[in-house]
Amino acid sequence: MGQHTVEPSITAACGFLTAVDSPSHGLFGGYLLVDMAGRPLEFHCTAPLKVSRAQQILYGATLHSHLHGQQIGATLLAEGTLQPQVVLTDLESMLHVRPHTKLPVALVVRRDTPPTASSFYVGTACVSPPSDHPEHASQLRAAIETLVASVDLCEPFERIRAAIEEAQRH
Amino acid sequence: MEDRLSQNPLGFAAPGRMRSWHLAQCPLPVVHVLPAIAPRLFRPAHLRLPIDSATPHVVRVPLIDQRPAVQSYQFRHAPVPPAPWQTIVPPATHVRAGDFSPAPNCASAASCASAADRASAAPKPKRTRILPPRDVVKMGERFFFLLQPNLETILETSHLEFPRQPFPFQFDGMAFLMPRHGAVLADEMGLGKSMQAISSLRLLVRLGEVRRVLVICPKGLVSNWTREIADWAPELLVAVVEGDPQRRRWQWALEDVPVKVANYEVVVRDRELVAELGLSFDLVVIDEAQRIKNRSSHTSQAVRSLSRNRSWALTGTPVENSAEDLVGIFEFVAPGHLSDSMSPRAMGAAAADHVLRRTKDRVLKDLPPRLNRDERIELTAEQRETYRRAEEEGVLRLSKMGQGAAIQHVFELILRLKQICNFDTATGESAKLECLEAELDEIHASGRKSLVFSQWVETIGRLRGKLSRFGALEYHGGMSTAARDEAIERFKNDPRHSVLLLSYGAGAVGLNLQFSQYVFLFDRWWNPAVEDQAINRAHRIGAVGAVTVTRFLSVDTIEERIDEVLRQKRDLSDTILSQAESAPIAGLTQSDLFALFQLVPPQRSAA
Repeated sequence: MGQHTVEPSITAACGFLTAVDSPSHGLFGGYLLVDMAGRPLEFHCTAPLKVSRAQQILYGATLHSHLHGQQIGATLLAEGTLQPQVVLTDLESMLHVRPHTKLPVALVVRRDTPPTASSFYVGTACVSPPSDHPEHASQLRAAIETLVASVDLCEPFERIRAAIEEAQRH
Repeated sequence: MEDRLSQNPLGFAAPGRMRSWHLAQCPLPVVHVLPAIAPRLFRPAHLRLPIDSATPHVVRVPLIDQRPAVQSYQFRHAPVPPAPWQTIVPPATHVRAGDFSPAPNCASAASCASAADRASAAPKPKRTRILPPRDVVKMGERFFFLLQPNLETILETSHLEFPRQPFPFQFDGMAFLMPRHGAVLADEMGLGKSMQAISSLRLLVRLGEVRRVLVICPKGLVSNWTREIADWAPELLVAVVEGDPQRRRWQWALEDVPVKVANYEVVVRDRELVAELGLSFDLVVIDEAQRIKNRSSHTSQAVRSLSRNRSWALTGTPVENSAEDLVGIFEFVAPGHLSDSMSPRAMGAAAADHVLRRTKDRVLKDLPPRLNRDERIELTAEQRETYRRAEEEGVLRLSKMGQGAAIQHVFELILRLKQICNFDTATGESAKLECLEAELDEIHASGRKSLVFSQWVETIGRLRGKLSRFGALEYHGGMSTAARDEAIERFKNDPRHSVLLLSYGAGAVGLNLQFSQYVFLFDRWWNPAVEDQAINRAHRIGAVGAVTVTRFLSVDTIEERIDEVLRQKRDLSDTILSQAESAPIAGLTQSDLFALFQLVPPQRSAA
């Protein structure tokens, strides 16, 4: 089992985007693209981003949305060579990447979280599509319909976290 | 700032700092002057404090506008095959198309909670992760494993069906084998090593990771393997390499058959043919891998000479006699990884990432218990006398040999004494047989089945005659494969046959006899590993009811003394495989053998 170049004709089913805050290293971002069977096609991860105390104070409550959305999210989505049909994230602050990408980005949380009006349940997950782009909702549903037969929507984020943890060890 | 009053006592305005006092407080003599002229003499004091005119220090707080560096990895895409088979569905929370449900009106937390409760009440499926082996050092390759979905998902999306749901530990075994190029699956006998190997290679074939597989096993297990592959991987074409040389050449050269099965003797015989054909295998699996523990043997050399990408070894007894056994196996699995000079503890640590061993008591809580009992037998009077004379004469002979005494002389004496413990050579009496008959009477009457193991085919033949009323059948290496298969079938299906007599050599490996609930070791083998193999023919997955194991031990004989040495060997095996503290000396050394008769081994002269 090894690493090889992806054939360009393959369209990834779904992207999974998240960030991991490491107290010792800083903030890592991870972006995983998978096929319809949930198998990895591409993985992109950022070098750790450290924020100074002064920056924390300066940005205040906008810090996470800026870091996740603009710095990490936008950077990672730009690195992907494949165009997924939908990008899912488990961090609400990551939704601030939406202005910086044309891809539909939706929030995935565990089912026991109170949903919004436009949310829908899929398995153990609750998906909140972007409300300001209703044309994405149907595209998002169609993409997920195939994927959820194979993959628990919250599970790929665990893989990303495991990969980032591995990167920190090395 | 320096006070200049000391230089200008009247406090006249002057460059520098000025100071003033109330008249009454002035420490200096005061001269009164006319008020008219006072203003001309005293100028009002002006306090001048120069302000530091340096540029104020500006602290720059940089904005977070530097994009982080990104590492990117791309992986090979294995296309999802079409689904000609039904998929297995382990208990899962996956939802298929059409199962979408809009979120309920969660105006109240209670309604949200009930939906969550329903979802969380579903049994959580086991998720087996495929982790990268330690020797995979490239980050991209490590990510490839870490970012895979769990094994159960891979199996499901690959549309692979199982005839029976594997146990969770068997999924762990598959997750262990799949990413490894060199692996030893050393599960205790009866835990399904062949099933795990077959399922793993099946998935690798499906994922396109391997295309040519060779399975090597003892001759008596070839049909077992083809049956198991048909059971666990029915879509895989299998060719058994056997028959005359021309036929074997054709079979070796077959290209469209992903799996070939050959016995060890064929591999030795066709070593040059395989090289001549330039055959290379993506995966070679060897069963009962202890067969290659001796590195200098033709078998070991022939197996190791095979060109291959992955090497998997299956054995329930990786350490049969000494730590060197494991080194021998590792010369196939990962050449050079272990060496004879390593301590048992160091060897265990080095082998840890390549070896997976589980024992029944740890992984199969539901397996019926195994009840061990040692039956200590007093020899009959005639047997005792025969034994005493033989031992005295034998020891005397060895003593007289002095430096000329060799290991084979000791072995000959041991074997002779053990045979007397089975049957008196003079009268044919047997205390063990009397005990065994009594036990079998009860077992046969209850409709249960028993296995009886012996080291000697001759003993098996004698027992068959004595136990004919139980429909005793034989199974040993002197029989043809067809005769052995027939014996198994009759024992399994015909209630008139409640006893199967087996030799350790032929009967201790690979057979599935889990319908037998009683195992008797009529005489003991040289090491506990082979005895365990024998016992596990019955005590394995699929066993119904507890399995009772009876080991006959003649009191105050060589059998008792050998038993003590066997205990030490078991400790060694446990130490290496559990990386515990270092074990006592391994194996039966020359000194051990001579010590059985309280003799000193001969000193070897320098060459």
